[in-house]
Amino acid sequence: MLKDITFGQYVETRSPIHRADPRVKLVLLILAVVFIFLSGNFFSLMLSLAFVLATILVSRIPLKMYLKNLKAVLPIIILTSLINMFYGDEANGVLVSFWKLTITYDGLYRAFFMALRIILLIIISSSLTYTTTPNDLTDGIESLLSPLKFIGLKSAVHTLALMMTIALRFIPTLVEEAGKIMNAQKARGADLESGSLKERIKALIPILIPLLISSVRRAYELAEAMECRCYNGGEGKTRMKQLKISSIDFCLIGFSALFCAGIILLNIYF
Amino acid sequence: MAILQVKNLTHTYGGNTPFINDAVRDVSFTVEKGEILGIIGHTGSGKSTLVQHLNGLLKPTQGEIFIEDTNIWDNPKEIRKVRSQVGLVFQYPEYQLFEETVYADIAFGPKNMGLVGEELQKRVRETCKIIGVKDEFLEKSPFDLSGGEKRRVAIAGVMAMNPQIIVFDEPTAGLDPKGREEIIDVIYNYRKATGATVIIISHSMEDMAQIADKLLVMSRGSLVMFDKTENIFKNGDKLRQIGLNVPIVTRVFDILKEKGYSLPDDIFTVERAVEVLNKIKAGDLNA
Repeated sequence: MLKDITFGQYVETRSPIHRADPRVKLVLLILAVVFIFLSGNFFSLMLSLAFVLATILVSRIPLKMYLKNLKAVLPIIILTSLINMFYGDEANGVLVSFWKLTITYDGLYRAFFMALRIILLIIISSSLTYTTTPNDLTDGIESLLSPLKFIGLKSAVHTLALMMTIALRFIPTLVEEAGKIMNAQKARGADLESGSLKERIKALIPILIPLLISSVRRAYELAEAMECRCYNGGEGKTRMKQLKISSIDFCLIGFSALFCAGIILLNIYF
Repeated sequence: MAILQVKNLTHTYGGNTPFINDAVRDVSFTVEKGEILGIIGHTGSGKSTLVQHLNGLLKPTQGEIFIEDTNIWDNPKEIRKVRSQVGLVFQYPEYQLFEETVYADIAFGPKNMGLVGEELQKRVRETCKIIGVKDEFLEKSPFDLSGGEKRRVAIAGVMAMNPQIIVFDEPTAGLDPKGREEIIDVIYNYRKATGATVIIISHSMEDMAQIADKLLVMSRGSLVMFDKTENIFKNGDKLRQIGLNVPIVTRVFDILKEKGYSLPDDIFTVERAVEVLNKIKAGDLNA
């Protein structure tokens, strides 16, 4: 169960996408998400599919890893497509009809459309965390947010970025910790897998309390360690690794621009 | 009688991901009833993975585990019963305390086994007596105790389930010398009072020399040595090859032997060293 959480997990394959600038990747991801949402007909959605498949190929990360991320949102995908199934135009033909519900061909098509769209969105989003280390990612975010400095939020940008780095950094640690605590309570006979909903919620208490306590303990330890190393915020801090736009980034930008243009054209002509 | 048999156990982590990793490879051994078995090995040698199989927290990728001649995975739905037969005390068990009182926390395990009322109370009090948790502690919050006391309460929580086999994963890690000694005593007293079989993972060769009947040495997921404690410690060179060592007192005596003194080769604890040295002092040089 906990092993399935892959969010924030970085997979090193040294692909071109890995080497690209995190700022570029972030902006392109936002663009890609917007344009996958904009793909309003069959052809533009297929172009989105092709774009996502190309991303998977170039990232050199096994498809399995991407599919694992989908497992967590499967209920949402199924629910959305189920609901969409009943909201079709009956003029285009009715498949089955029972009680007050009708499934139309139009509805089926919509359900498929929505499901594919969600799947594409999730895969393209996970490609960012798979190919970018948490540190690069926050550096990118900090750099992109830096214009906020000019409207009087000088320390906020750095603090925000730091908070994100720490949060991302501690996701795997907390997952590991939760796993350990679960095992320990299971070893003491705790039953986490069966029982009514109420019993299951109660069974979480022996896990949540120790987890909460250890998070607070970790927060204190981290704060102390940072103070010991003279941390005093972002003031005057320079970077060891400077972010630079390279030829890879221009390739990615060009590729994505083609994709966006393609979506716009397909949306207009079909 | 063999209470525990492990046959050709292999465990692979992350089977379908790029993070694939053989944590335990083809390990077989038997533990007799009432024995104290020590497991030593480097960090990442697969010790913790190995012991998590013994109570069914992990399922072997290959191989079998028998407790009193019953394969624990014969009936996967009953795996929780195995957990009351084989108690497992994890590393830093004090981080798993959660109840409002020490009593409630120790009672968590027995309660999960279905004990109620007077029986439950009796069980908790008996365990506390054996391992020396004072009565006045029982109504305190476990979070108000000192580090060593917390550890003791957490261990009591597993012992209160009355397991036939109890496994400790580095029970003395992070404790001061007095705390270490106390925990070793707790384990020893528990064994004496209940006759349970004990398995201990430890990095401390001194602790092992003191308490273990047999030692199992792991290196890179494989079992490399499995013998009586004295036979393992007589084999210092092989231990050093895999980055482990013999107890410090044995090293001192090894150096003395190199210098030409004739001394026995079974000195693994300070007590035994004192005994031998006293004999030499009394004139009996062949001690």
